[in-house]
Amino acid sequence: MKKTVQLIFSILFLLTSAMVFSQAKKPTLMVVPSDVWCNTNGYMMTFNDQGSSVKVPDYKKAFQENAEVIQVISHINGMMGERGFPLKNMESVIKTLNSNMAEDNLRSSKNSGSGINESPIDAFKKVAKADIILQLTWTVNKTGPKKSVTFNLQGLDSYTDKQVATAVGTGAPSFSAELPVLLSEAVLAHMDNFTESLQIHFDDMFENGREIIVRIQKWDDWDGDLETEFGDEELGFIIEDWLAENTVQGRFSTTDMTESMALFEQVRIPLYNEKNRAIDARRYTSGLSKFLKNAPYNIPNKLVMKGLGRATIILGGK
Amino acid sequence: MKLKHPIAILFIVLLGMTANAQWKKNKANEDTKIWRYDLECEGIAKQGSKLVKVWSYSKNPKHAISRGMKNAVHGVIFKGYAGGGQGCTSLKPLVKSVDTEEEFKEFFEAFFADGGEYLKYVSAATDGSIAPGDRLKVSKREYKIGIIVNVQFEQLRKRLEKENIVRGLASGF
Repeated sequence: MKKTVQLIFSILFLLTSAMVFSQAKKPTLMVVPSDVWCNTNGYMMTFNDQGSSVKVPDYKKAFQENAEVIQVISHINGMMGERGFPLKNMESVIKTLNSNMAEDNLRSSKNSGSGINESPIDAFKKVAKADIILQLTWTVNKTGPKKSVTFNLQGLDSYTDKQVATAVGTGAPSFSAELPVLLSEAVLAHMDNFTESLQIHFDDMFENGREIIVRIQKWDDWDGDLETEFGDEELGFIIEDWLAENTVQGRFSTTDMTESMALFEQVRIPLYNEKNRAIDARRYTSGLSKFLKNAPYNIPNKLVMKGLGRATIILGGK
Repeated sequence: MKLKHPIAILFIVLLGMTANAQWKKNKANEDTKIWRYDLECEGIAKQGSKLVKVWSYSKNPKHAISRGMKNAVHGVIFKGYAGGGQGCTSLKPLVKSVDTEEEFKEFFEAFFADGGEYLKYVSAATDGSIAPGDRLKVSKREYKIGIIVNVQFEQLRKRLEKENIVRGLASGF
């Protein structure tokens, strides 16, 4: 009896695992006010970068001072949540990052008094990020007493830099409606078209695989390069062959290839590996990393990732 | 003997009425069988809904009015509409392929049957009266009638997602 129960539980566990693993990795989405909107509304910070003046958006100030941007983001977040796709809220992400930073600065080891280890790269990566950025812009048009709102929402893939969804248009002019009402109407009018174009992107992903970017670089002190020959073939071509064999329908583009670096774009990777587990750029590129590490190439390398869609292999060591 | 005649007459009258009602219903169904209608956006509706004007064609104006709601739901699922005035943007149909109606024939036949489930997703947006400009005689024997209705777009989409006719945004993740 005990064995039967154990068997049933084991089968149930395996079935549950298979179900969990058969779900593709869900991208994170976040609405971000565009640079144009921040600049037009005076939410910019100016830095002096070696003599030249550089402007960057001051999102914190925008969220603290502009109620309309909160209203629009809240409306978009709500509508996306209803579609089963809750978004990251940028204002909350910024607050969490700040509080984490403060905690990390104060934390010290009980034994040695040592602080938290953080490399310059770690510090650089501590910014609000998402796999798909929903860049939001609106402008208020005035013709005499009439007002209208031009609304533009762009879904931008953080890794491939492609625009994967869009909704843009100008609402009906009004004599009496207030700006929050016009903004609310703009969101209502455009969100269905936006989710529709986002759906097309996801459908394409499920059909043709996730699109990622793979970069190959080398450490300064490595004596080999991408032109090093193994048998009759240069390393660059060997990597290309591996990609051709391991991408969906052999789809990828070699954008750049020199002796010290290679850039592969539009690399279509399968959503699941042979164990039916969901994979991302890091997991996928670890296959190439192992391939290069093993004989006959024996090239030690370091794998670096950026979100779901970008991975870099640095040849010559960890 | 005297009583028999009124009963027979009453029976014949009732039979005639039933046959006439059935004939009218069939006629209305025939008029809308080929889904001949035009759909246009009538303005920005509340969240989750679409406010549309549906123009139905029929030899009898009454049929066009009664079939308007059915046509509106059908239009949102299979045709969509172009944008227009009043801040309207274009709407793509809920289903992506023209073959979907044939593929899920059984479901849609039951869905669009008289008194079918489609009624759950549509409601009249006016008091029922037709504006003079929305009652047009397009030929000697045909009318084009426009009625404004509110289609529960979100609920309709969720229903079709449940039947796997439409893919949800988060499905597969």
